[in-house]
Amino acid sequence: MEQIASLQILLSALVLSSVYVLVALGLNLVYGTMRLLNVAHGDLMMLGGYVAYWSLVLLGIGTLGSMFGAAALGALLGFILYQFLLRRFLSNSRFAQRLESNSMIIFFGLSIIVQNLMSLAFTADPRSYNYMNGIVDLGHVRVEASRLVVLVVGVAAATSLVLFFRYSRLGLAARALIQQKDAAALVGIDANRINLIVFCLGFGLAGLAGALVSMTEAITPFGGFQYTIAAFVIIILGGLGNLWGGIVGGVLLAFIEIYGSALTSTAYRSIIVYGVFVAVLCLRPQGLLGKRIA
Amino acid sequence: MMVRAPAIAAGLIASAALCLAPLLLGAYHLSVLFQLLAFIALTQSWATFSGMTGYASLGYAAFYGLGAYVMALGWMVIPLWQLIPLAGLAACLLALAIGAVALRVRGPYFVILTLGISELVRYVVVAVEAKFGASGRVLFLVPDMSFLYFIMLALAAAATAITWWMGRSRIGAGLHAIREDETAAITIGVPTARIKTVAFALSAIIPGMVGAVWILRSTYFEPAQVFSPAMSFSIITMAVIGGSDKALGPIFGAAFVVLLSELLWARAPQLYMVVLGVLLICFVLFAPEGIYGRLRTAWVRTR
Repeated sequence: MEQIASLQILLSALVLSSVYVLVALGLNLVYGTMRLLNVAHGDLMMLGGYVAYWSLVLLGIGTLGSMFGAAALGALLGFILYQFLLRRFLSNSRFAQRLESNSMIIFFGLSIIVQNLMSLAFTADPRSYNYMNGIVDLGHVRVEASRLVVLVVGVAAATSLVLFFRYSRLGLAARALIQQKDAAALVGIDANRINLIVFCLGFGLAGLAGALVSMTEAITPFGGFQYTIAAFVIIILGGLGNLWGGIVGGVLLAFIEIYGSALTSTAYRSIIVYGVFVAVLCLRPQGLLGKRIA
Repeated sequence: MMVRAPAIAAGLIASAALCLAPLLLGAYHLSVLFQLLAFIALTQSWATFSGMTGYASLGYAAFYGLGAYVMALGWMVIPLWQLIPLAGLAACLLALAIGAVALRVRGPYFVILTLGISELVRYVVVAVEAKFGASGRVLFLVPDMSFLYFIMLALAAAATAITWWMGRSRIGAGLHAIREDETAAITIGVPTARIKTVAFALSAIIPGMVGAVWILRSTYFEPAQVFSPAMSFSIITMAVIGGSDKALGPIFGAAFVVLLSELLWARAPQLYMVVLGVLLICFVLFAPEGIYGRLRTAWVRTR
């Protein structure tokens, strides 16, 4: 039992939380602008992870540097997707209706495409690398430096995002847009520009999270799915589109997952995640902080 | 829809050809045909519920997998003729359980909930199997291929018949109403909750039986593989490509995808999946009525 109370486990949970929070924030931003659930979010993360991997292997740039590149690539993909595909489809009403009602299937197809393209390009072997593997001694706990980096970067990113959305004009405009699209347009907020920025931000966060994950775990083309599911659980837990909910949900899920599998066994980790997922959708689909849905 | 003489004749010829196939074809082609029939049965069942109500279920692998699991557990213990319906029954019960939970939510929530439940079932079965100490089960002394072929043919025919019948029945009309506008349907008195549950449970029976028969063919049960989301993805793709509205649509979709897989899968499985994904997206956006729907529109225009 004293193992449960150990700081080691607490630290694991915190590290996982910071990854989950970033992932959930990214997904929430994408959902908030487009009202579309990006099933390919986890695969974007894997892409970010591959950027980090290849940066180290080919260019010798460590993750601290390449994570910005991963985020940038994510944002670029978001830009291309939004500007050239989504905008065109959504402005044409015939496609817009089909896109929205079948959005899950379409993004599911996109996810399969991205996964298999990555598999073709990079082969399906798991990739991992050693970076900042030195052990840091923090008194009672010993932890790899890379995990500390994940925690620190995650917290820093989340904090700056929260501040951005709270205090900057752009951030406030984005929140207004997420809350009430039409009303925001009425008061003069340029919906398209802000949508584009937020969308790219969401995708960029996915890339960043993936780069962080690649430091501590091996990445494969098909490994994104579990993160996608976790992200879905989190944003539904916190309420769709609710940014604070995403943060709370991310921490909550990470803690449930780590402590749950510590109490039972690591083999049950997936069952716990999916179990929470199903339970939340049945008992409280609007999430802990969300409003009632039909 | 009036059934014309040429269509009936074509149908009879096709049925005769299918019945004679084990005598005419070699082992490889027979197994391809077997696979095609299995996919037709699965896709028809998907269309029975998801095609008609518009509630896209990403979790059909759960029913298929459960049927396979029942067969894997019961083989050699329970006679075949009882085991196959038992598999169907088990899948039906699972559908009732899932439906009680999942059918309360709509739209995208339903889609990811079915996916989540299917994955949950997968991991639970893997854990249960681990408890039994089995990481996969092998089936011995399985029936001969031609025998299995005829069972699968019967299942495919049954599935098509069910889809056809549903399309014309009152329940089918209710399901269509749900797809068009569920709130309006409730308002005019359609018992939406009841028919959704009935259709969902009904649509799970055939996949359960297909899973059971399939596992006899492959003789190996591995939970992680049998419950994989790739199976759900394939089924949806076939339904979308072929058209999920009328009974003949899934036949076209399954045939198309099996043909594609024969060409590509052995050589470049990832490319195959990419092509499949691209096709899925294109069909959803540009041709939601599927190949069969397009053919019908073209046929009507030429009259």
